Amino acid sequence: MIITKKKDRGKLLQTLDKYNSFYLIGCSECAALCGTGNDEALKEMAGDLQAKGKTVTGMIIPKTGCQTLGTKVELKKDKEALDNTDCIVVMSCGAGTQSAVEIYPDKAVYPSNDSLFLGNMTRFQMFDERCSLCGDCVIEKTGSICPVTNCPKGILNGPCGGMKDGNCEVSADIKCAWVRIYERQKKLGELDKMEEIIPAKDWSAKQGPHKLYTRGDKEAAGDSKKSKEKKEK
Amino acid sequence: MSFKEALESGKFVVTAEVGPPKGTDIAVMKHDMELLKGKLDAVNVTDNQSAVMRICSLAVCKLALEHGLEPILQMTCRDRNRIGLQSDLLGASVLGIHNVLCMTGDHVSAGDQKSARPVYDIESVQLLQVVNGLNNGKDMSGADLKGATSFFQGAVVTPESNPIEPQLMKFEKKVKAGARFFQTQAIYNIDKFKEFMAFARKFPVKILAGLVVLKSAGMANFLNNFVPGIKVPQELIDEMKAAGKEKALDTGLNITARHIKQLKEEKICDGVHIMAIGMEDKVPTILERAGLL
Repeated sequence: MIITKKKDRGKLLQTLDKYNSFYLIGCSECAALCGTGNDEALKEMAGDLQAKGKTVTGMIIPKTGCQTLGTKVELKKDKEALDNTDCIVVMSCGAGTQSAVEIYPDKAVYPSNDSLFLGNMTRFQMFDERCSLCGDCVIEKTGSICPVTNCPKGILNGPCGGMKDGNCEVSADIKCAWVRIYERQKKLGELDKMEEIIPAKDWSAKQGPHKLYTRGDKEAAGDSKKSKEKKEK
Repeated sequence: MSFKEALESGKFVVTAEVGPPKGTDIAVMKHDMELLKGKLDAVNVTDNQSAVMRICSLAVCKLALEHGLEPILQMTCRDRNRIGLQSDLLGASVLGIHNVLCMTGDHVSAGDQKSARPVYDIESVQLLQVVNGLNNGKDMSGADLKGATSFFQGAVVTPESNPIEPQLMKFEKKVKAGARFFQTQAIYNIDKFKEFMAFARKFPVKILAGLVVLKSAGMANFLNNFVPGIKVPQELIDEMKAAGKEKALDTGLNITARHIKQLKEEKICDGVHIMAIGMEDKVPTILERAGLL
């Protein structure tokens, strides 16, 4: 999931001060789990805006804010409230915010959160980064522990000289990713995997903006043609 | 005789470290270089050591050459991507700098530019492979170079690392990737170092024992508590304590000299790398006391 954190509320309200009416969009997926885009968070934001003398014309928690088409359908139900709004505040991740930009290209859209990382919720509202979405996964060679993410230097071939008693040079709270990999591979009897030099990564796979269409070129092309015809009608 | 020739001839070599200053005033560094001239087989020039921004290693290596010292270019992967690294290596080569020490580099969080974006496009093992490639006339994407480099490439190892096994596995990878010599993290326990050497001697590489001069008992405690991979034994701390404030530094110099003597006489390793950290001017005294001058 995408981990988000509330922006400083005072600064955000200052940024939004030139608008008078607001519509709030949350998200029932990641942002809800992070407590940044759930019902409670939206109500709190509405209260803060109203305390500043602003109007809140409506609010919605779409099923999946980054699913642009689905969100568009959900927003249709609230067309009137949205039409009467100066500004949309999106309380999800940056992707959800840009769904709103796509759906309402002529309206002001602001994010209420900072998007931090792709993480796992290890306990309730405790998030740890596990994957960097580098596009060139090496973890089949590293006991399925990601050194690109779990090592601050992303070292692919063993611990650095900064490792101290099994902990990371950057923070003693982090266990050295390569000590974890070593211990796991030792336990599994797969230490031979650690002897293999992992070559330099192909970072071009990480180069954005990414696009991925898994429906196959033909179908996707056909689909865009269809929608073009639809528009022309 | 070059550093490489000296190592290959079986001579007990001596290297020391020069840390480039932060700023353009290089008077003290020049003075230190003059003092070290003719007394070392090579001088390491650190690369933004501890992630603190200073004059670049490449420029100071060139200054070292001009002062009659053979430089070892320390190169870390923290600040440059593969284009920058390869480009600097080619630059070093044409400037007459032919020794390179390949390291991943301390993280920016340790330094004085904490909001910097660290690079780590590649790391130490891969950098050794890159140097090997350049020596064979190929860049990292496999393209032919117009004129190859002729680097003598080295790496670092931490014999007191805990746990040691993954460190030793990485040492092997560095050998496989083309490392010809190693300079170790500071060692203080010669008997323990012998255990590491028993392992390292299985590989066709030269090992220089890293030595950091103790200035006080407090410094020894600091190293133990805060610097990864360094363990100063209690008897050395006691020896520093017994020396008292006035004689502390002198005792520290004696300890380093004593270690050099033992490493050389017992043929434990192929040489030493002295890290005087701000006391480069004391290196000749150490060498004198070790009977090397």
